[in-house]
Amino acid sequence: MFAHLFQTPQEPQKSFYVADQGVDAWGQLTPLASTFDHVDHVFYFTMWMCVFFFVLIAAVLGWSVLKYRRVRFDQPAASNVTHNTPLEVVWTVIPLILVMIIFAWGWKGSLDMAVAPQDARNYKATAAQWSWTFRYHNDPGSSLNELWLEVDKPAAFTLESKDVLHAFFIPSMRCKRDVVPGRNQRIWFTPTRLGDYHLFCAEYCGKDHSLMYAKVHVVTAEQYGKRPWDTEDPDPKVNGQRTYEALCKSCHAVAGPNTAIAPSWFGLYGKSEAVIEGGQEKTITVDDAYLIESIRNPSAKIVKGYESAGRMSPFDQGQVSDRKLGFIIEYIKSLK
Amino acid sequence: MTTHTPHVDVHSGAHTGTTNYLNNTSGFMSWAGTLDHKRIGLMYLIGVSMAFLAGGIFALLVRLHLWSPDGALFTNEAYNQIFTLHGAFMVFLFVIPAIPASLGNMVLPLMLGAKDVALPRLNLLSFYLWVTGAALAMYSILAGGFDTGWTFYAPYSLYTNQAVISIGLGIFILGFSSIFTGLNFIVTTHKLRAPGLTWFRMPLFVWAIYATSILQVLATPVLGITVALVALERTYHIGIFDPRLGGDPVLFEHFFWFYSHPAVYIMVLPAFGIISECVSVHSRKPLFGYKMIAFSSLAIAIISFLVWGHHMFTSGQSTYAMFAFSFLTFFVAIPTAIKEFSWVATVWKGSIDLNSPMLYTLAFLIIFAIGGLTGVILGVLNVDIHLHDTYYVVAHFHYVMMGSISLAFFAGLHHWWPKMFGVMYNESLAKLACAIIFIGFNATFIPQFIMGSRGMPRRYAEYAAEYQPFHQASTIGAMILGCGVALMFGYLLASLFAGKKAMQNQWGGVTLDWMTPTPPPLENFHQTPVWRGEVYDYSTLDLRSTQTPVS
Repeated sequence: MFAHLFQTPQEPQKSFYVADQGVDAWGQLTPLASTFDHVDHVFYFTMWMCVFFFVLIAAVLGWSVLKYRRVRFDQPAASNVTHNTPLEVVWTVIPLILVMIIFAWGWKGSLDMAVAPQDARNYKATAAQWSWTFRYHNDPGSSLNELWLEVDKPAAFTLESKDVLHAFFIPSMRCKRDVVPGRNQRIWFTPTRLGDYHLFCAEYCGKDHSLMYAKVHVVTAEQYGKRPWDTEDPDPKVNGQRTYEALCKSCHAVAGPNTAIAPSWFGLYGKSEAVIEGGQEKTITVDDAYLIESIRNPSAKIVKGYESAGRMSPFDQGQVSDRKLGFIIEYIKSLK
Repeated sequence: MTTHTPHVDVHSGAHTGTTNYLNNTSGFMSWAGTLDHKRIGLMYLIGVSMAFLAGGIFALLVRLHLWSPDGALFTNEAYNQIFTLHGAFMVFLFVIPAIPASLGNMVLPLMLGAKDVALPRLNLLSFYLWVTGAALAMYSILAGGFDTGWTFYAPYSLYTNQAVISIGLGIFILGFSSIFTGLNFIVTTHKLRAPGLTWFRMPLFVWAIYATSILQVLATPVLGITVALVALERTYHIGIFDPRLGGDPVLFEHFFWFYSHPAVYIMVLPAFGIISECVSVHSRKPLFGYKMIAFSSLAIAIISFLVWGHHMFTSGQSTYAMFAFSFLTFFVAIPTAIKEFSWVATVWKGSIDLNSPMLYTLAFLIIFAIGGLTGVILGVLNVDIHLHDTYYVVAHFHYVMMGSISLAFFAGLHHWWPKMFGVMYNESLAKLACAIIFIGFNATFIPQFIMGSRGMPRRYAEYAAEYQPFHQASTIGAMILGCGVALMFGYLLASLFAGKKAMQNQWGGVTLDWMTPTPPPLENFHQTPVWRGEVYDYSTLDLRSTQTPVS
């Protein structure tokens, strides 16, 4: 009855998270890799202030319990004091002053994070279930689930969602912004250390939320100039497979039969398929035109049996260029 | 010397002995159709305890799954459903109704010197609405489950192919249960106080329940409207929250948190009330700063309506909104700090009885200090941008909801258990269980603070390997916590069958709930009690009542 809830043992292990540079055994925060050091300053100041008040409270409680423990059943309290106005004023006013300082400090920091500097380089990040696509300034190319940034160069992002809420979160950069469908959000930061970092989706977005992950490579200006995101394999099938692993793998299998979520790609090309188009059932042959339509406008023809399954998001030119689409078709043709 | 209730002689046993609310009638219908607030409270207690156990089992499954970075047990879909069930059961079926509807129902009329709540039939209706909501939640599991998270954020909740409408209906109905209970308690507090029991002589538990009730009546309708709109949007595609139809998903967040932030105080204010009672009775000392505690409950109730945007600092709301919401959030910290300091000052120079309700209370004071102080860290704008939606937030609200509210619920349960049933549980086991729960709880959630501030996002079925040690420590802690809770339920149930007789006034309380026979008779007091003197005046305590077993 519950077997379908459990993982199958042969499911491939897919731990693809990079080793983040920011592993530090003792810090409460990951080591900072951007210019937003005010986050760390306010965090540690507030944390130590909280530790102070916690120790104060615990010490008074502990001492009271030791000193004033009831030993006879009829023992009265050592004091019946019900209030002490000076004390109450002190413990109201001092915390009030402290939290106002913290508030103002944190607010000033958040203003720094709100507006990108003039010389920032622009990027566009497109979030979809469950992938990140990055586009670069003055560059027709794009990269999937990998992002290259130049060290010490402010990077400003326009965030766009294709389907549901997501959030753009790079812990080492101390930045986070929800990606909201229907509006363009902005976020910026300046990476200050070379290395690889996590980019997580921080807003729950469905089945593979935890696999919606990108590697952030912070590189030198020289390495950045070589445009590492544009590398392409001479074999179109290999390029198609890369796109598959970045965008399609969450739902579509490439070996074995159809799953409950989506049709398998194995032996798909050239096969006869029963589909529902506009409420009418018809039989088509899987060819280039059908595959292109199924990626650009997946709801046009739905394979019979998947009418009530979750809908696939459409992929536009920005995420999957016509060239990449051709690679995917070559890859599907090779799956026999 | 003034006496509070000269009419109620608890020592002679003249009025006690033969019948009380548990045994005055019997048979299924005498319970299912009862209008007695104590029986309704008891049925609620059974219901919310079952919901707590179910939610707890879901929590243990979540923790077991997170033992390994690839997920140890479930598929990602199943994991998403399980964490959603954990949140939805714990929030809607346990934490919100737990204290007001079970212990509040039981104790509020006793503390006021009333025969019952003002509207007993409405009280029974509230219970059956709760049962209907719980049944719909169970049905939603059987109908395929739901994987939206307990927050039901649009547009995912509009698109997902799961039982969102039936759980939405369940939450809608549970909302009415909550509203009716709140309304009932407001009327009861206004109209049914005993002669002489003026507002500033009411026990602080009554103040807390009163402030909670105001929040329940004012905030819960917004939740009902929001889930109704989600259901309409899913069914008729009217375009309120769905961006594909011109709707705005951020509007959903505003609606949702407009209820769900005050809901945090619907959950925590009754816990404050229990702690105020326990601190005073078990220190045998008047509460320090009674009026400040009472007013701070009301202040929290009011300010809590104005801070919902602090759940949305990364959502893209305007800079000015961020300013206002962060600023106001810090104003919740002040009345909360006043309460904590006042409780600590009450313990100071008391006559401290280290019995199990007091141990749970002391555990609360430690854990709530951590939960409250980490809330200050999360209220800071730039820091919250980093910590939002990470395990740091998860740990923070578990320190408040599980650590503080549930521990206060346990403290109240142990405090009023002898009153409710006339029997005592095994005190040694109770102290042991409290220690196990305290250790297990901290072992579960301290690692979550660390991995959260290092960037571990919440609601992840799989995670990066560097977080594994923290997840494993947390899982071990959760198992310890689970053992402690199981032990607690075990000895409490055992006491009903083999418990020693409790004393008439087990702990030496001086509020009206301890002035009736134990367990109380059908209409609580044989004669209307008349209150004279101040509240929490332990010079009036008749120590014989703490040494006289129930007959």
